Amino acid sequence: MPLDVIMPALGMAQDTGQIVAWHKAPGDAVAEGDVLFEVETDKATMEVEAQGAGYLVDVAAGAGEDVPVGQVIARIADSPEGGGSVAAPAPSDAPATTPDLPDGTTIIMPALGMAQDTGLLVGWNKEPGAQVAEGDILFEVETDKSTMEVPAGAAGYLAAVLAQAGDEVPVGETVAILTTDAPEAPVVRSYAETGGAQPAPAAEPPASPPAPPKEAATAEPAAPEPSKAAPTSVEGRILASPKARRLAREQGLDLARLVEAGHRQPYHVKDLDALRALPAPAATPAKAGVEPRRRLTARCGAEGLASFAAWLAAETGVRDPAPLLAAFAAASLRRAEAPLNVSVERMGYAQAFADADRAPLGRAEPNEAEPDLILRDLRLSPLASVDLGPEAVPVITLLAGPEGIDLTLECDAGVLTAPEAIALLSDFAGRLDEPLRHLL
Amino acid sequence: MREITLSQAVNEALAEEMRRDETVFIIGEDVAEAGTPFKVLSGLVEEFGTGRVVDTPISEPGFMGLAVGAAMTGTRPVVDLMFGDFIFLIMDQLCNQAAKIHYMSGGKLNVPLVLRTNLGATRRSAAQHSQSLHALVAHIPGLKVALPSSAYEAKGLMKTAIRDHNPVVIFEDKLMYNDKAPVPEEEYLIPFGQANVLREGSDVTLIGTSSMRQVCEKAADILAAEGISAEVIDPRTIVPLDEETLLASARKTSRVIVVDEGHQSFGITGEIASRINEKAFYHLDAPVQRMGAMDVPVPFSPALEDITVPTPEGVAARARKLVAGEMIDAA
Repeated sequence: MPLDVIMPALGMAQDTGQIVAWHKAPGDAVAEGDVLFEVETDKATMEVEAQGAGYLVDVAAGAGEDVPVGQVIARIADSPEGGGSVAAPAPSDAPATTPDLPDGTTIIMPALGMAQDTGLLVGWNKEPGAQVAEGDILFEVETDKSTMEVPAGAAGYLAAVLAQAGDEVPVGETVAILTTDAPEAPVVRSYAETGGAQPAPAAEPPASPPAPPKEAATAEPAAPEPSKAAPTSVEGRILASPKARRLAREQGLDLARLVEAGHRQPYHVKDLDALRALPAPAATPAKAGVEPRRRLTARCGAEGLASFAAWLAAETGVRDPAPLLAAFAAASLRRAEAPLNVSVERMGYAQAFADADRAPLGRAEPNEAEPDLILRDLRLSPLASVDLGPEAVPVITLLAGPEGIDLTLECDAGVLTAPEAIALLSDFAGRLDEPLRHLL
Repeated sequence: MREITLSQAVNEALAEEMRRDETVFIIGEDVAEAGTPFKVLSGLVEEFGTGRVVDTPISEPGFMGLAVGAAMTGTRPVVDLMFGDFIFLIMDQLCNQAAKIHYMSGGKLNVPLVLRTNLGATRRSAAQHSQSLHALVAHIPGLKVALPSSAYEAKGLMKTAIRDHNPVVIFEDKLMYNDKAPVPEEEYLIPFGQANVLREGSDVTLIGTSSMRQVCEKAADILAAEGISAEVIDPRTIVPLDEETLLASARKTSRVIVVDEGHQSFGITGEIASRINEKAFYHLDAPVQRMGAMDVPVPFSPALEDITVPTPEGVAARARKLVAGEMIDAA
């Protein structure tokens, strides 16, 4: 296992260090404690020692270069040949479900109230293994306020039932899995006994970061919590002035990066200068904890959507395609009764719609809520493809393509499982291709 | 421009208004021959006679009630309350009667009365003659409260107060009676509800009432020598309060210290800080700071008394912390 050589932080407020000189050449054998290189900061010049023995390889920065603190500039390997360039480990998708659970659409305990943490599963309306349609009632949930019926949200076979009547299940936990093929032996468990879908740590690929400690009740395929994706060094609330917080938000700056860089809290407006001066996250390729990402593309015709929009305009006078697209996307993403916000960005203008799939077609009202999904309509742009990297929520980009519309879905692997991402984009492309499907 | 003392400025304001309007009269203890313990009214009884400069026995509730009635029936009394601390004696006449009569008479009656009194510690007058009690009356709807910060303000605010149709309480700082400031010969009035930006700055706003304005100005001098640019604002009246000017400055500098000589708890500093928090929160780069007098009876011991009130050095030190972005955990 090669040892990373990083630019050390020698001062409290140091962002970069300049390599004055290397004391070892690429391929040289080094012993632990050997001086590898000299670094100059604004305060002093320091010698940096090797933290282990081996051969110096993959030297990525030369004398005179300014290197951000924490960046990998070389490796100490077992052989002088080295192990390739200093680059991020190739993104690899974590398995979507644990080996003993079927692949399919996960059904989660929905949040039916504002302050609801758990739901009491009253009973199942379908037998394990039964075929279910999208609108079939799957189970009933009792909260402190009411009892609600939860529809399947997708068609398939009830291949896994992970909670039983009487189980108190935390919101967001997986209670069932729907598969497209009839299961041979449906999985049936009680949440109270097993904690639902237990993760199988051994299934993690070696390239992915160590899984954060999970509580026994955490189910792997369940809806992700964004906070889990945050770097583990950023715990709790960041102390920052209201103005610094507001400016950071307006300028798209992430105060958590100041925490990671070791800047002292509380943060004020002037600390934003230091934040801007930090190297972009992409420039620290070997940083641990980089989430694998997903990028899927799909193609569909444009005629279906165009004629449907024309029909809708004639019937209702609604000409803005944004609420229509939001409705299609919300229906494709929907897994539960919880509010679902879709932001549609067209021609530099963003509108968010809450539960557009529940409003009369094309008549969803814009709201201010944080989106769960962004639709970026770039069909009028000359772009041929996009690879913008994951954002805070999944992004579906619409481009004009040879067959009509090219669709690209990008998200963090932690936000959607592979089956969820595939289902989302397939379903959305299907709705665009044949909008009448949406009405069915 | 000529410079006169705050004492002379008040005297001029009263004399000018008494000449202009014969319904204006002065009533209180030792106002005539004695001209008050601070000699503010010297010479007025000679010009206007004992019919308009009325000495009373030691009977604050009595002469205050008398003045409220006189105001309701067409005169404009200026009540002289020898020490601000004696305001506790006239609370019913002031807060239950004067403040509410216009409202409770359905607008049929007015109380165009001015209560002249004082505030301020460090005069070695001990706990019963050193308090700054303006927050008590600022709390009562129906009373206006002016806090002159120099001879110029003392004259302009007094003339405005006498012409107001509602009860106004003016607190002069008894430490400032002999302080001189430029005051024009020609007549002028200072409207209520207009704060005065005494110096512009970009790093921190110092809001100082009454003599705390001078404390803030001295603190700004100290800070300027260190390269910190402080804006100094005197609200001049706390009821009505010129919120707009204070908020604009808070939005500009993002850091505010409110300095007032009243006790810090439940006082003017808390009220102003709270309004800034409510209305300029997203422009603040630091918590708004209150600096008032210690929550203790004002000591007689000079060594102790001097540390109970905000000082230029203390204000500058607090400003330095704010600008440096230090974690503020002020007591």
